[in-house]
Amino acid sequence: MKFRGKIVDVACLNHFTRVVTTISKLTKTCVLRLTPDNLFFVLSGKVANGGVGMWCELSQANFFDEYQMEGVSPEDNEILLEVTPENLSRALKTVQNAKAVKVKLTKKHCPCLTIAAELPTLSSVSRVVTHDVPVDIVPRRLWHEFKEPIMPDFDVSVYLPPLKTMKSVVDRMKNLSNFLVIEANLNGQMNLKIETDLVSVTTHFKDLGNPPWGDDAASPSRESEAMAEARVDVRRLQQFLVGQQVNPSRAMCNIVHQGVVHLILLHEDVSLQYFIPAVA
Amino acid sequence: MATMSCVLEGNRVKVAPYCVAAFGKAIHALSRIGEELWLDPMVKGLALRSVNSAHSAYTCFLFSPMFFQHYSLGSGSEQGSATIKCKLLMKSVLPLFRGLNSIERNVERSQISISTPSDRVTIQFFCRHGITKTHNLHFQESEALQAEFASHLCPNVLKAPARLLGDMVMHFPVFQEEITLSMMPLSVSFRNYCEAGNDHMKMMYTEMSLHPDEFDYFQVGVDSDITFCLKELRGFLSFAESHSLPVSVHFGATGNPVRFYIKDMVLEATVVLATLMDSEKRGPSQPIGPPHPSSPRCADAAALPAVSYEADGSKPQDIPAVTELITSSQGSPIINPPALMQLLSPVDDPDRLSVSDEACPSATTTPASTMICSLLFRALSSEQDDDGCAARLPVLACHSDAEEDMEEDYRRSPSL
Repeated sequence: MKFRGKIVDVACLNHFTRVVTTISKLTKTCVLRLTPDNLFFVLSGKVANGGVGMWCELSQANFFDEYQMEGVSPEDNEILLEVTPENLSRALKTVQNAKAVKVKLTKKHCPCLTIAAELPTLSSVSRVVTHDVPVDIVPRRLWHEFKEPIMPDFDVSVYLPPLKTMKSVVDRMKNLSNFLVIEANLNGQMNLKIETDLVSVTTHFKDLGNPPWGDDAASPSRESEAMAEARVDVRRLQQFLVGQQVNPSRAMCNIVHQGVVHLILLHEDVSLQYFIPAVA
Repeated sequence: MATMSCVLEGNRVKVAPYCVAAFGKAIHALSRIGEELWLDPMVKGLALRSVNSAHSAYTCFLFSPMFFQHYSLGSGSEQGSATIKCKLLMKSVLPLFRGLNSIERNVERSQISISTPSDRVTIQFFCRHGITKTHNLHFQESEALQAEFASHLCPNVLKAPARLLGDMVMHFPVFQEEITLSMMPLSVSFRNYCEAGNDHMKMMYTEMSLHPDEFDYFQVGVDSDITFCLKELRGFLSFAESHSLPVSVHFGATGNPVRFYIKDMVLEATVVLATLMDSEKRGPSQPIGPPHPSSPRCADAAALPAVSYEADGSKPQDIPAVTELITSSQGSPIINPPALMQLLSPVDDPDRLSVSDEACPSATTTPASTMICSLLFRALSSEQDDDGCAARLPVLACHSDAEEDMEEDYRRSPSL
């Protein structure tokens, strides 16, 4: 198994760092899946995570100037590593002014992703900073847990309001209740509701628009006013919103009634999906 | 009655690099070290000192009278030395200087006065809009611990532009306790230090190396790896960077203390940190008798030689039990018991003082019953000690010089 990547463009490095930082805010550990064309940050929706799932896909060519990998075997030409994204984020954040950053799979005291950055100096000799981020190799028999998630059979799909606005609403709601209901309909309306013994608060969003998934998505006979709802742990939603640093080109929410909330963010070269299960 | 009064210019009135905010930044740096602050007004300036509870880190900031708009020491009694030994709780002082940005914007002038009859330090901020904030802090009479350090005997010396060290430590996370600096003929490297026994399989390792060209001065006498507490140093480095002052680093072989030093026309500051013993050599401490000039084990400890002065000078002050000193203020078990503390030779044994001639500046160990170290790291008071006699207690020596310098006393009333 081998992996070597090199980033020389400062904007690419910056963007990559921001993606990794976003991931680090969503989860403590995740699996990094490397294929010849892509990198994926995956969190499988196991009960241990509270059923939360995450799938983040990057096209390697948009970030790396050089990218070489050899997977476990020619038929299974992939590498899966369990990593703490915060370590990667920290390592990358300190080398933003580097002339070049290499990311390599190495074996030090344990398998590591080594971030080696060449920093500019006033003298003739460059300064090299290395960060060894420990990783765990995921054995092939467990790879099935980290496959691309299937789009759930949602009842309603709606575009999200501006994430900043949503975040400030959710931040305040979090102080009042542990659970929040997200509901939306095919009329471009979305409500965020909390209800406790003392108080109930609802924030209404209108004219959001609904993504045109096509005829086979969502039951055609569904009334446009009918709300599909899911009650979720407010902290999960907040965690998702806190991590977003850049406004995506597209932000959508699919709701399976009393099932799951599926959030999709699309940027130019990165896509992020986040699944929050509904609670009773 | 002893008094001291000094006035600091704020930033708003003049564009002056020396101002209340700089003083406040020094307080910040001092607060990273210990929980107590010693104010030591001397003729040569106002010294602020702090030591950590494990006695493994010491810092001193000395502001010369030129730093202040006014600086005056009140005349003492006719008996002579009007020494003010003033110890404050850091947590009483730090909040006054917490918001440096707000200080720079609002404080036009600041005055600090110490008055022994009332045991009070008065810190006044004269702010915009005619607002005056007066803070009265009660102080305890207490002589400062002072570490001395024989920098001229250190085999390894680095002088780095302020930004260089800041750029290096920036790569380590804020929670990183200790780092290791390795000096070799052709490079200097920094790496984070992880204790064995931690889950070091999961630790992220960071390393960087620097070429000698990057330093203003590079002298390697002995290849060495020194491991010291980074957290305690950060405040000092930040101060150095904000004043664009190059930092001098003096150290020796592994286990010897390291000294960081900055100086300009009106101030100088020092941090002395103990370094970890080489882990391979860790083991039961050897009770060493008289100092052996070439003893390689002389640098055995995590605690600095420190001097503590009692008012009457004859009775050694009790040094806390050695086991208490093992635990560093960061909670990392630096040394294994029995303690490898730098036990201190008695003051009145001049022969012991010759140890300072050794290549390594630290003291040798003696049985735990002896208390006071006479082997002093010569730091600020080295300039005072012209006759080279280390037995003279430096702090008191300064004050005894004060009488000749009384003409410099502005003799201004402390209250404006």
